Amino acid sequence: MEHMGIEPGRLQFSWISSAESTKFVEVVTQVTAAIKALGPNSNFAKKMAEVA
Amino acid sequence: MLSYTEKIREIAGRLLQSGAVEMVIGFRAGTVPMMNEPHFAKTPADVQKLVWDSHCGINLANYLTDRKEKIGVLAKGCDSRNIVTHIIENKIKREQLVIIGVPCKGMVDKRKIAMKAETEITEVIEAETTITAKGHGFSKTFEKKDVLQHNCSLCIHRNPVIHDEMVAPPVVEQQGVDRYADVRSIAAMTPEQRWKYFEDLLAPCIRCYACRNACPLCYCPTCFVDESRPQWVGKSLDPSDVRTFHFLRAYHCAGRCTDCGACERACPVGINMRTFTKKLEQDCLDLFGWEVGLDPEVRPPLDVYRPQDPNDFIK
Amino acid sequence: MKMITINKSEWADGLQKAAQAYRLFGPVKEKEFHSFKRLQDGVLPDLACLNTRLSPKHLIYPQSEVMFDYTLDESRADHHILKEAARDDSPQAVVGIRPCDAKAFVLVRMNFDTPEYQDPYWIRAYEATTLVGLGCAAPCSSCFCTTAGCGPYHEEGLDVLLADAGNHYLAKVLTEKGAKFVAAAGWKTAAEPQAADRTIAALKQASESKITSFVQTDNLRSTETTDLHNAAFWEEVSFSCINCGTCTFSCPTCWCFDIQDENRGKAGVRMKNWDSCMYPLFTLHGTGHNPRGTKLHRVRQRFMHKLKYFVDKYDRGIHCVGCGRCVRLCPVNIDIRRVCNMMNNFAASGAACAIE
Repeated sequence: MEHMGIEPGRLQFSWISSAESTKFVEVVTQVTAAIKALGPNSNFAKKMAEVA
Repeated sequence: MLSYTEKIREIAGRLLQSGAVEMVIGFRAGTVPMMNEPHFAKTPADVQKLVWDSHCGINLANYLTDRKEKIGVLAKGCDSRNIVTHIIENKIKREQLVIIGVPCKGMVDKRKIAMKAETEITEVIEAETTITAKGHGFSKTFEKKDVLQHNCSLCIHRNPVIHDEMVAPPVVEQQGVDRYADVRSIAAMTPEQRWKYFEDLLAPCIRCYACRNACPLCYCPTCFVDESRPQWVGKSLDPSDVRTFHFLRAYHCAGRCTDCGACERACPVGINMRTFTKKLEQDCLDLFGWEVGLDPEVRPPLDVYRPQDPNDFIK
Repeated sequence: MKMITINKSEWADGLQKAAQAYRLFGPVKEKEFHSFKRLQDGVLPDLACLNTRLSPKHLIYPQSEVMFDYTLDESRADHHILKEAARDDSPQAVVGIRPCDAKAFVLVRMNFDTPEYQDPYWIRAYEATTLVGLGCAAPCSSCFCTTAGCGPYHEEGLDVLLADAGNHYLAKVLTEKGAKFVAAAGWKTAAEPQAADRTIAALKQASESKITSFVQTDNLRSTETTDLHNAAFWEEVSFSCINCGTCTFSCPTCWCFDIQDENRGKAGVRMKNWDSCMYPLFTLHGTGHNPRGTKLHRVRQRFMHKLKYFVDKYDRGIHCVGCGRCVRLCPVNIDIRRVCNMMNNFAASGAACAIE
């Protein structure tokens, strides 16, 4: 994704067990903050179909 | 490579006559310059149509998918690696095949020659290391190595990796090839530049799906772009739909693509879509030490779990 | 019919004047290939181009075209109503179109403009378009127009036929639309009609003599449809086909389309997109059944439609103008000339030995 121009950090992966509620909260908080800092995604966000 | 034709006919004739195979898949001479057509031979007359030259770039593994007969198939290095992939993915059984290996010195890129010609090319004459293109009042001789398909010039597996017959002794493999210069040049760009680069790359796409259909890996009964319930991708020329198609198709080829160049060769509007797949190829090599289609007994990296698989990207 | 002489020194100026009244399109070279594009201010059509990579059919019949838009937002008075999408039907002219591509519009019209049904999108665009063609002096080796009901100086479908006569163009004004365009460009110098006719006839003959590729079509009509349908050669013809849409999308006469709705939030559009008989989805029924389930079915359909069903239905020759694009672009070298001749000679050759 980054290779074709999606900003670094917009795509994130985590491995969280169903028992790790604290980690889940931490990750969600971090990811949300990181994505908010990047601002709205303009690439790869389809609006109304552009034709012609 | 021109001397291969006779040997190919001899092997094909023998295999058909002995009943070892029901058909031999190869090429017959094309109707336009620099094109040959995939062709199946079942009779001695068909066998006499089989030819070999520098215009046999189409990947014949694509014609094996789900076939039930016993088949003799001509295989360049890349074709043979795709045949291995087909065997691993259960698209054909090894026992069904007699693989006729063709040591390859690279296929000629007709677009490169056309761009260097001042007029329409009406005739092409090939010698061992050169190729002469002729048109109205025009004649020019090229060194083959200067007009190879880009993937062929980077190829390090010119000899078939699996074969039952060989039409000639192996050729010398290219050494010290820098296979990923294109990937690095994109990696050096900013995200905005990369986005723009791929936007320009895909702008001429007409979604004819020649790239997908020429690819031996793209054998899904229904491609995700053709799904209608639900419909994942729009059908128009909307740039995000076009990109979704190319980008997801590349992903589906991760760890499977042999860089045979069939996609680029097939494209009617000249898109170099290998720019997508090369990145994935390089990642598979760097992260998993994986080169596609060298051994039918080894499962591909995206198919197996190993404790040492890199997982730094997971937080 | 008027004949006009356009001195090449008046060419650029005339086009600039015409651009006041018309949206001008013409062949332009981009990177490797020529394609028909809107001519930006001061850009001249590249008339040296042999032919464009893709046909200009998109200028009248775009690959994707919005027909309607709608909103589902109930706070708006016009919610749940399909409204015709805004479009530009102001006059446009295609300068430097080849006679083959112009003739193709005549064939396509037989489908989109019939006594029973009229496709308003196609017709309005067609009516707004003036086709200023250039007689083709250098046919490609894969062109077979003269035996496909067309030719390098064929007039049918054109509004003006230009012939390159060295330091000037001869313009044969063929229709009212053509006369308007010539007037808008301010080209007035009348040519002596008989001399001009002779010049064009000579150019035409010279060009036709360069065509080296032919198809035979004389038996297509009399050959039994079911015999052709069941012919053994389809297996051999279709073997190499990969079922991409290159032939149909590059073809100036292929006209099939699909209608799709796309929405986002509470608004959406209904659009027309080119479709291709090469795609499995083209005939997939709602039940899941597909009457053309294999590539043999689909390849046969393409050739039977162009070279048999069309011939029988309209009695106007084959559904092909011989531009040769599918021959040049097919990734696996399936050649319509070869298939056409096989079909044409099928009855005479006896069912068993129809191959080549």
